[in-house]
Amino acid sequence: MHITLNSSLGLQRSASRIQGLAAAGMALGLWLAGFSLAFAQLPPASTAKKTNATPAATSPLLAATMAHSCAACHGTLGHLSDESFAPLAGMPSEQFVRTMKDFREGRRPATLMGLVAMGFSDTDLKGMGDFFEAQKSLKPTSVKGK
Amino acid sequence: MRIETQGTRRNWLAQQLALATMATLPSMAFAQDKAHVVIIGGGVGGATAAKYLKLFNPQLRVTVIEKNPVYIRPYGSSEVLNQHAKFEDLFVTYDKLKNDHGIEFIFDTVTGMDPKLQQVFTLGKQKIRYDKLIVSPGIQLNYAAYEGYNENIARTSVPSGWIPGDQTVLLAKQLQTMRQGGTFVLAAPPNPYRCPPGPYERAALMTEWFSKHNPTAKVIIVDPKDSFVTDETMMLGWNRLYNFNLPDDYVKKMSAMVEIKQHAKTSMLSWVRGKDGGRTLKIDAKRMRIETEGESIKADVINVIPPMKAGLVASTLGLTDSTGYCPVQRINFASSKVPHTYVIGDASIADAMPKSGFSANTQAKVVARAIVEELAGRTAPEPLWENTCYALAGKDYGLFVADVFKIQADGKIGRINGKSRYLPLDASPVQIKLGARYQQAWLRTFTADCFA
Repeated sequence: MHITLNSSLGLQRSASRIQGLAAAGMALGLWLAGFSLAFAQLPPASTAKKTNATPAATSPLLAATMAHSCAACHGTLGHLSDESFAPLAGMPSEQFVRTMKDFREGRRPATLMGLVAMGFSDTDLKGMGDFFEAQKSLKPTSVKGK
Repeated sequence: MRIETQGTRRNWLAQQLALATMATLPSMAFAQDKAHVVIIGGGVGGATAAKYLKLFNPQLRVTVIEKNPVYIRPYGSSEVLNQHAKFEDLFVTYDKLKNDHGIEFIFDTVTGMDPKLQQVFTLGKQKIRYDKLIVSPGIQLNYAAYEGYNENIARTSVPSGWIPGDQTVLLAKQLQTMRQGGTFVLAAPPNPYRCPPGPYERAALMTEWFSKHNPTAKVIIVDPKDSFVTDETMMLGWNRLYNFNLPDDYVKKMSAMVEIKQHAKTSMLSWVRGKDGGRTLKIDAKRMRIETEGESIKADVINVIPPMKAGLVASTLGLTDSTGYCPVQRINFASSKVPHTYVIGDASIADAMPKSGFSANTQAKVVARAIVEELAGRTAPEPLWENTCYALAGKDYGLFVADVFKIQADGKIGRINGKSRYLPLDASPVQIKLGARYQQAWLRTFTADCFA
């Protein structure tokens, strides 16, 4: 690859610093308010359509299709090593679902994840979460425990 | 190329349909394991399709036919112009796809096909048989759309550089050595075209570079359009970074959401819209003039991004329609014109999906799944696609578009993730800086998902 380890590490450091700042700044931002308003007006089409109380689960193959659409940023099968984005492989499904719902409902600051999350229903997220949980994480021991 | 007449076409279509039905029977399993998927084009779409086909079914034989032994990535290639990247940084090898994923590569040019025998022919006189054919040819530039412009002029004096290569290097040299106070004109293309925010990002990055290295320079975008994808967030960035005054209708539309400054000082950067005569008519390379509907501009550097259509091989193989692009079945991107053939990426007609690398990447995965399931006699799941693009208004000023797509009730591909697709107008400064950091990270993670 054309990227040296040094420059990539430097970026990682500066990105996580900025991310920290962003989290602090966003907490009081009007941005969030605007976002949840937008969401309130436009629930995801896929959940809005469902009328029964227990919507059918998203099939594993469809969930896999959905999960593969994350890979361009979050790595093939959720595998990333030294990047600014969260590696998803091995992430507990519950954590994935909670995080995505927080993005979708504007409770978690984001650049574009809030908009992407609006494309997925609760059952979609569960299926995607199960897909990523089943992928071997690169450092299983450090990811587990918490 | 062997052209079938209408009469025989009907016969072989019937034959092919019969064969296709047989091939999906589980009893043919021995043949399926040896199934050969051939991919024409080793860009983002072709490479991703190859990789994910092997990921979904390692038993498949997958061959990529590609002209160039090294890929030069178009995404992020404007960063060569402002010295944010070296030209060599754009090079991507096929080594990992070959060595780690067992994908075969043939470096050759496709000259035709026989859809009946399911063979493609190459300039190197090879005949390659396929069970399924994926065509991912990208775009070709229609240089001849403007009077006085052609590929030779693009190579030698008025580069396009929209497909990265020698023209990128030439344009970088011209821009970086432009005389102090010179004028750079960028001719934006009509819709549809590859990388919708790209021309505006390029103009922005050069304005930023000039403000340091050539502060009296001028950058003029001449445009056949009156609006563009990410226009509001991009021009808000220009307003903040380059004293750019937005057109009145944009100010009216946006000022309830965000403060837009009215600058007394003239900006280095200007945007001439179609309704103000921005459409390019003629290039005079000798006198370095560009003629638009509204005016004739003397320039020091001209960058023409001409109208586009599907890559040449798409029309050679009979996959295009009168639009110059390739009609496909939305469910699996199967060509509407040639059986056992799929068209993905910029060359396909994909409704609301923009012509972007990210679109090609998710289209490739949907096609890979569709082919693997069909060869196994199973039904593929309902498709879902995504597109997220980061773009820069300046080196540290990121913005984006974010889409999730499904097939809609009308049978076309449409967005399903709400009305908003862009960075909010009231985004915080950290938000904006993060967008720029993520853009740089995306260049690496995206390249890895496609090519490694």
